[in-house]
Amino acid sequence: MYKLFLCLRYLRSRLIAYFAVLGVAVCVFMVLVSVSVMNGFLHKIEQAAKGLFGDIVIESAGLTGLGYYDEFTRQVARQVPEVEAASPFIITFGLLRVPATDYRQAVQIAGIRLPERAGVTDFEDGLHFQEGLSEPTFDPPVALLQDRLRAEAEHTERIRRSEMQQLKPGKAPSALRAKRLNRLETARLFQLQAAEILRQAADYQDRMRRLQARLDAARLQAGGQDSKTVDELLIELEKLTEQAAIQPPEYRIILGLGISGLSFRTEAGQTVRYIVPGHKVVLSLVPLGQRLSMTDISPNTATFTVVDDCRTDVSSIDSEIVYLPFETLQRLNNMSAEYDADDPKVQIAPARCGQIHIKVAPEHAQDKSLEAVCRKVEAAWQEFHRRRPQAAGGDVSVQTWRQRQAKIIAPIEQQRTLVAIMFGIISTVAVVLIFVIFYMIVMQKTRDIGVMKAIGASAGGVAGIFLAYGAAVGLIGSILGCVGGYFFVRNINPIRDAMERWFGFGGGFTKEFLLFEKLPNEVKPLTALIIMAGAVLAGVLGAVIPAVKAAKMQAVEALRYE
Amino acid sequence: MADVAIQVDRLYKSYQLGRVDLHVLRGVTFHVAAGEFAAVVGASGSGKSTMLHLAGLLDRPDRGQIRLLGQDAASLSSGARNRMRCRDIGFVFQFYHLLPELNVLQNVLLPARVDAPSMGWLSRRRAVKKRAREILDRLGLDDRLMHRPTELSGGERQRVALARAMINRPKILLADEPTGNLDSKAGKGILDLLRELNRRSGQTTLMVTHDLSLAEQADRILHLSDGRIV
Repeated sequence: MYKLFLCLRYLRSRLIAYFAVLGVAVCVFMVLVSVSVMNGFLHKIEQAAKGLFGDIVIESAGLTGLGYYDEFTRQVARQVPEVEAASPFIITFGLLRVPATDYRQAVQIAGIRLPERAGVTDFEDGLHFQEGLSEPTFDPPVALLQDRLRAEAEHTERIRRSEMQQLKPGKAPSALRAKRLNRLETARLFQLQAAEILRQAADYQDRMRRLQARLDAARLQAGGQDSKTVDELLIELEKLTEQAAIQPPEYRIILGLGISGLSFRTEAGQTVRYIVPGHKVVLSLVPLGQRLSMTDISPNTATFTVVDDCRTDVSSIDSEIVYLPFETLQRLNNMSAEYDADDPKVQIAPARCGQIHIKVAPEHAQDKSLEAVCRKVEAAWQEFHRRRPQAAGGDVSVQTWRQRQAKIIAPIEQQRTLVAIMFGIISTVAVVLIFVIFYMIVMQKTRDIGVMKAIGASAGGVAGIFLAYGAAVGLIGSILGCVGGYFFVRNINPIRDAMERWFGFGGGFTKEFLLFEKLPNEVKPLTALIIMAGAVLAGVLGAVIPAVKAAKMQAVEALRYE
Repeated sequence: MADVAIQVDRLYKSYQLGRVDLHVLRGVTFHVAAGEFAAVVGASGSGKSTMLHLAGLLDRPDRGQIRLLGQDAASLSSGARNRMRCRDIGFVFQFYHLLPELNVLQNVLLPARVDAPSMGWLSRRRAVKKRAREILDRLGLDDRLMHRPTELSGGERQRVALARAMINRPKILLADEPTGNLDSKAGKGILDLLRELNRRSGQTTLMVTHDLSLAEQADRILHLSDGRIV
């Protein structure tokens, strides 16, 4: 009991101990902040990978693709009860253009099925204009798009007005501000134009709906016989479709938010879109799915209407990928079924996809369990492939999302470990600090140690006082560092903004260029606990040598010490 | 011999000062009976303090035997030596040696805290505090309980040190020049207290001093010269 009593007394009365506490607190703060932010980045990347691939990815080597995918997805759902959903996927490369402008950009084109994909990944979470809709689609109601576009235009206008307010009356804006205002004005005009297209589309859709109703009625009346009325109505409908301001649902596109030139970010990190739902873009792609030689490759080109944009928060995905309806990309990429030229009823090759993404029930989606399910899916595929050899020409890999993205995730994990080690090494400063301070305290307390021994304190008891002292310094320092680190990480974004406002420096994280809307601000309790335990251990370690010295001190010599 | 509290037999102790061996005690032999107030006088450097430290188990002799309360000190484990120092021996030093972080009451309670097992202190705390207040009251320090040592005069500090030495009711009180750092009035006050405590509680008291006039207050005077009792 006297050990604790003296330890607390010393802690309260020795100013120098506060420096030791401060040193530990700073180290804990540094390690906690860096590990938490790195963990957050890693988590975002992992979520994005999962969002792109689902839990398990089946992929063919090369460009030959996987056939009979719908048959297989039905089979795997039956054979492997852990599988919740599966969806085919194609990814290829192409050129994106905006008509009537000289904009062109190389992109990756993903073919996805909506809303089926929402069952496999969290794709719908990143959609902007269909936000809140449980079933994302390439054919959202035009009225909804109009509503959301109105909100978008208001958002842009607010930014423009706040920028205008900063103009000094009677003074010409700086070149930078003029450029910003110019961009905002352009975005506003683009959005107005899109709103007009959507208005027309709503109008056409109304007329087309009425025409369709008349057509249905005429067909019913004709009773399957040739009918002039039906033919006339059909031609009229086709004409209207052609004239309609927006493309039919199979020619709709969802853009990745971050494709250079289609939107931009303000300094405050707000996104302003040039290309919004209603606008048309043109995609050209080299059909890679067909068996062809280099000489007869000619690109397929089609025009698409933008219906939404999608964000995963990972720049390498968002700045490169656009999403098309699966069947449309399959056709454009020459991956549709092939039939005998002489007998169109004879299928030579099945329709193919590039990958199959599988969603596993959440209770089986963790690492080890997921790998077990992955092996089952692989077995199911091999069995299917034996039965249907045409399903794949070359090797097929079945991987978990983590295995598939190992090349991206592993280096970040290593970086996180490296940062933790680096800060851990820096934190040895805390050990040295405590050692030096405790050594000083022990030297100052030499006579007191003699007195304690004279009144019967054992060597272990004297050592215990200083070890408890070290542990207390570690504990208090780590609690302070942890609380400070927690609040810093939780408020890291406002702090970053304030830094940028005051010093023009955002800690190396410039919103304008990076796609992370916010810096990660989560602190894992386990991480905090491990770091705290490390700090207490550092405190005890720093106190060991001085404590042993105190314990070994001869009472007589200590009492004589001047 | 049961009535002998301290028995010292042919005690030798030397220290190494550089290359020179300094023989401080050269076969000291004496005894102090239980309840006796003995004083050891000798010139500065005659080995008085060394002898007291050995008798108080703060140090170990090169040769010779020490028996305290009938027990051979050499046969005691270090734990038993600690316990004996805590329970059976009270020390009063020339320079008081109070802990500056603690107030008067806390300084006096410290040996009782050391003596208490980890959780035992909670149960005996109240009784020990009462006893500490009584002792301090008897020593005229009842209005100084919460003062730090730095706020006290030399005489008061030495009285606090005396109260600390008494808290565990030791059978033996060892005083090393207890008045050496005090003016004559305060010194006399301390000596009177030592005398009174010896008479009232029957403690064995061994005091070392260089001042013969103080030593004369004791029941018996031992003269230490050249490392021997003469």
